[in-house]
Amino acid sequence: MKKRILCLLLLAALTLCLAACGGGTQESADPEQLTLTVMGRKSDMEKSYLTSIFQLYETATGNKLRLLSYEDAEFEAEAAKQFAAGNQPDIFLHFHNADLNRFSPAENFCDLSGESWVSDLTESALAYCQDREGRLLGLPFWESSVSGCYYNKTLLDSLGLRPASTQAEFDMLCQVLKELNYTPICWPADGCTWMFQFGLDPIFADDPALLEQLNANELSYADIPAVADMVNWIGSAAKAGWFGSDYLDTGWDDVSTALGSGQAVMTFIWDTWFYTDFAAGNQYGMEDFALMPVFMGTADSGSYEGGNLNMMMVNKNSAQLDAALDFLAFCATPENYNVAFDGISTVSCFKGQTTNIQSQMVTDAQASISENERVSTAATKIVGYSAEDVAAAFDELFRGRTDTAGCVQRMDEYRLQDEVLQGAA
Amino acid sequence: MKKRFGKILPSLLMCLVGLAAVLIGAVYFAFISQKIYEDSTDHLREIYGQVNRSFGLFVERNWGLLNSCDDYFALADKEADSRAEAEFIRSKQDYWGFSGFYFLSEDGKCMTPDGLRDSADLSGVHQTLSQWREPIMAGLTLPSGQEVTVFAAPSRKGTFRGFDFDAVAVSYTNADLANALRVDAFSGAAKSFVIHRDGTVLLSTQTGGSVFSNYLVYLKAASDLNEEELAALQNDWESGTSGLIRCEISGVDHCILYQNVGYQDYILLSAVPESAVSAGFLAVQKSTMAVLIVIFLLVGSLVVAPIILRSRSLSRKSRLELQYRERMFDVLSASVDDIFIMIDAQDQTVDYVSPNVERLLGIPAEAVRKDIRVMETCAVNTDVVIPQAELETVPLQASRSWEYEYRHQTTGERRFYRMTVYHMSIQETKKYIFVLSDRTQEQLMNQHLQEALTAARSANEAKSNFLSNMSHDIRTPMNAIVGFSVLLEKDADDPEKVREYTRKIAASSHHLLSLINDVLDMSKIESGKTSLNVDRFSLPELLEELSIILRPQAKAKDQSFDIYIQGAPPEQIIGDRLRLNQILINLLSNAIKYTPEGGRIEFTVSELERPAPQYAKLRFAVKDNGIGMSEEFQKQVFAPFSREISSVTNKIQGTGLGMAITKNLVDLMGGIIRLESKPGQGSTFTVELSFALPEQDEGDSWFRHKVSRLLVADDEEEVCRDIREMMRDTGVDVATVTSGEAAVEEAVLAHRQGRDFHVILLDWKMPGLDGVETARRIRRQVGEKVPILVLTSYDWADIEEQARQAGINAFMPKPFFTSTFWQAIEPLFTDRPIATLPEKSAPVPERVMEGRLFLVAEDNELNAEILTEVLAMEGASCELAVNGQEAVELFKKSAPGHFDMILMDVQMPVMNGYEATRQIRACGHPQAEDIPIVAMTANTFAEDVRNALAAGMDGHLAKPIDMNAVRELVGRLLSQREQGGDGK
Repeated sequence: MKKRILCLLLLAALTLCLAACGGGTQESADPEQLTLTVMGRKSDMEKSYLTSIFQLYETATGNKLRLLSYEDAEFEAEAAKQFAAGNQPDIFLHFHNADLNRFSPAENFCDLSGESWVSDLTESALAYCQDREGRLLGLPFWESSVSGCYYNKTLLDSLGLRPASTQAEFDMLCQVLKELNYTPICWPADGCTWMFQFGLDPIFADDPALLEQLNANELSYADIPAVADMVNWIGSAAKAGWFGSDYLDTGWDDVSTALGSGQAVMTFIWDTWFYTDFAAGNQYGMEDFALMPVFMGTADSGSYEGGNLNMMMVNKNSAQLDAALDFLAFCATPENYNVAFDGISTVSCFKGQTTNIQSQMVTDAQASISENERVSTAATKIVGYSAEDVAAAFDELFRGRTDTAGCVQRMDEYRLQDEVLQGAA
Repeated sequence: MKKRFGKILPSLLMCLVGLAAVLIGAVYFAFISQKIYEDSTDHLREIYGQVNRSFGLFVERNWGLLNSCDDYFALADKEADSRAEAEFIRSKQDYWGFSGFYFLSEDGKCMTPDGLRDSADLSGVHQTLSQWREPIMAGLTLPSGQEVTVFAAPSRKGTFRGFDFDAVAVSYTNADLANALRVDAFSGAAKSFVIHRDGTVLLSTQTGGSVFSNYLVYLKAASDLNEEELAALQNDWESGTSGLIRCEISGVDHCILYQNVGYQDYILLSAVPESAVSAGFLAVQKSTMAVLIVIFLLVGSLVVAPIILRSRSLSRKSRLELQYRERMFDVLSASVDDIFIMIDAQDQTVDYVSPNVERLLGIPAEAVRKDIRVMETCAVNTDVVIPQAELETVPLQASRSWEYEYRHQTTGERRFYRMTVYHMSIQETKKYIFVLSDRTQEQLMNQHLQEALTAARSANEAKSNFLSNMSHDIRTPMNAIVGFSVLLEKDADDPEKVREYTRKIAASSHHLLSLINDVLDMSKIESGKTSLNVDRFSLPELLEELSIILRPQAKAKDQSFDIYIQGAPPEQIIGDRLRLNQILINLLSNAIKYTPEGGRIEFTVSELERPAPQYAKLRFAVKDNGIGMSEEFQKQVFAPFSREISSVTNKIQGTGLGMAITKNLVDLMGGIIRLESKPGQGSTFTVELSFALPEQDEGDSWFRHKVSRLLVADDEEEVCRDIREMMRDTGVDVATVTSGEAAVEEAVLAHRQGRDFHVILLDWKMPGLDGVETARRIRRQVGEKVPILVLTSYDWADIEEQARQAGINAFMPKPFFTSTFWQAIEPLFTDRPIATLPEKSAPVPERVMEGRLFLVAEDNELNAEILTEVLAMEGASCELAVNGQEAVELFKKSAPGHFDMILMDVQMPVMNGYEATRQIRACGHPQAEDIPIVAMTANTFAEDVRNALAAGMDGHLAKPIDMNAVRELVGRLLSQREQGGDGK
């Protein structure tokens, strides 16, 4: 009997061993453990809050994450190749921009609108992650910032002036500052190409149909009066001297000095810039600055641009769909994300986010941000959009080589060229 | 002085009137400006006083509204009438236009009539209200960002929809209030604010909102108000004092009016640009000023116009006169050859240029007007025609002159100008006036006079020299003649001395005669009376004659005399044979004369490139190795009476006119003569002359007589080459050798080959075998068939027999010419007898004149006597006629054969020799046509000879009579007559 029992035990052990060998992986030695494949850009995957949440997940669940990361320059092409070959990951990390279209998000990724954590997302984060049909494509798990008009509050107070709440007031403010011999807006035209998208965001964020028609080439910039309004406002502001006299020769490195010295009063930038690039030791420090909306002739109450977020998307055809969805739920749990984002300077994507560092400027302007924030639309969702190309078109305008209509035409030409290039890629 | 003052008086008056007008205008303008400002600020105060009152009324009425609401709520049924209360509020809102109504609770909460709680944060308002217990007005920003002004008042405690309240409030959007407070006056440039006493802005009337948070702070930053002014302003605000200040805000002058609203500590502040405040008044001011200016101008015009018209009339008249004078001066100066230029002495600017400067110098007047230095381009031989340094030395009111030569810039013509500069003061400005006078004619006249003077002096000097020379040269032989004549008389008994003296007298006479001939010849050439006797002649014959004449002279001095022909000069040429002969004889005889014994004379004739097909240009070069000439003498060798003085030349007799005559003859013939000479080494005279060519003779005798192969032997290669050259066109194949031996070899070889030379021409004197010996050897081996000729420049009489024996067929003289060669060989190929010797004129018999009877026509008794004696000495006799007429008569009366010859003087009274000859030839006497008539005359020129022959004479003898010449001529003529030949 003992022998029989021993034989049965041995047989059972052998069976288990064979079964384990048949699973193909060592991790699957534990029948409860599983491995999820996460694919993303190498530099993205190395972000501390991501590595932190990955580690938390593995520790907490005992599951494993197989991280497939590609060099930044090769990411889009390699990922597309893997998708085409049917090697789709369980979890796919990507920004919600035009490049995402090549991965057919509607076909490949789950609509996460019904997940429990959706209500914890801030409005701007939620809006960013939704597609045109309102499907929630992914969980935003990323550091974010708010782009707007950062102004020297201390200086304005000393001049008896206050921030603008409308386009008209902003124009008045610029003119008054100009009369007081300040540079109202620091507009470093040489290399700072991001500003133009702030003016375009309200146009296309407020009217998604325009965006669709533009991307479908049913419309062009020239057919959208608001685009001409923006170009006209920027051109007029430059002519009025609101950008200063040497704005064409100033660039990224000059912004800090211009703002810190008080020579320039306002600029269109994002809050984290003050942590990363604003040089201390100037006449004015970060605490002297405050945030108001960007006014660029396209939104009377101005606008803020929300952060450009990296999303965690779930392969709807994943064999481990539930586990993948559970992974997102794990990440969206306040206890977990607060650990991951502890000490990270970012605007909150989750309402329950408490451990991140959010600038006072953003906090003070929260009400206005909530009222006027737009999802980053132009740079991410206009097919063929290139900040450099738009800047090149404006350079011709600034140098008097073309007028408003010509500038808009050049923007269209560049956009269509880039659209062709992106299509070819 | 009075006149001048009268001229400037109108201008002075105008200035004074204008100045007064400006002063009045300025005072008036300042007064008006001040007045306008005061009126404007009053206007501003009035307008904003009304605004302030309106705003106060508006606030007051809102308090009334709130009180009425309070009353209404106090009376209303608390529970049942909440909808009625809401309706009441809506009705009030429709009437008053407020944007919101609020019930305020003690704890700072609020509720709207719609039941919305805490739609606005009115806690601060309620706190203030609770503190003050009076109606208050406050600014508020709603959560939507909308800025409103709240009017709140305490109320009786009540409940609205369960909300306990003790105060009520209404709110108006600041935009609505701004519209109510906005003033359309001042072109919309005014800004109005309701501010707290500390400057905080409650609301603004600016369209589109406001960017001002504290206007006092803003003024500190943007205005030119200093700290004291700002403090005073703040004091006014805090004390509720109204006021108006002027300041500059952002570079624009503003009026700032502040008035206490009357509620709490609010102030109504208005900031208006001064330009907007006074705009209306400024328009009035401008209109007023414009009217005043127009009035002033009209009045001024009425006063000033006559003055101006008068002045302009005078000015126009003056200008016309000036223009007339300038035009007249331009016309006058344009028609004269004097150029007028006036420049400023200080800066050299040109004030006036006469228009004729372009005609006279080729420079446009405008160019001179721009820069007077352009004149320097015309100056010849100087760069600076306006000597600034010298100009400055010209005293005021004085003048200086310079002479310049200018080149016309268009035509290049040079003209002389005298430039006179006057230093003048015109209207107290120093000027230089340049007058350039054309002195070209005067200059040319001076030059001509100078040249004429020089020529006259030269001629006078030449005449003096000539007379001096003549005096010397004539006196010398004359001295000998006279002296020996005296000695002859003294020693008449001594026949030896008589012969000696007679010989010396004759020699001196001949020298004197040649001197006279040369002088006369020279005189005639220089006077232009010499003419050329142009005719066709043979160059070989001329050269042969020269050889005959000069070779004996050279031989006498043991000199070698060689004639070379280079190339193939034409043999027949047209020219003055006599004059060419004279030239060449002069040159050759001089060469012989001035070359020591044993010397060498070379005479080379060559043809140069023909200037035209019908003309040949020949070069005659006479080269000797004689005494040569110094360079100084070479310069005057062609001058009359020039002879180099040396120990050698002093022993040589000469007139010193030979070369001068030669030079003049060469000039006369259109040629050139050159001299190359070195003392002690000899001289070379080269004469180049052009000759017309006669038409070529047709026919080719060489071919006709089957002469096609010629052998020439001459030790001089040049001679061989020349012969080949000259025979080139004859079709004859010429073989040349330079020795007798070679000639023998060639002739024998040809003979053996069966192709003998048709003619063999041998030089006589060759190294080795001479011509005679060579001929002998050729004959020995070749036979007698081939004609052999000897070419020599020597007299062959001594070897003639020896030559015949050697088999030589004929001699021919050097230089070689095809014509003479043909003449020599032609008899060999025809039936004519061979002339072994060139035909020479038969020697005149010694007593040819013996027994002859001459008719002598001579008007000079002495000459007639001499001639009679001379003829007698020859054994002849004569009958004398004293003029031509008598000679004719004597001849007519004479029997046929009575006279053998007539010697006829030319210049005779009654009838000259020419006429007498013509009458004799025409008189019908049996001898009339053939009796020899010879002219005897001192006129020895070519035309004299020609005239004599033309008159029918047969010869010409020059006086004084040379008996040898008489004998020669008479002998030849008589011989011809007796032989029946034609001597003409």
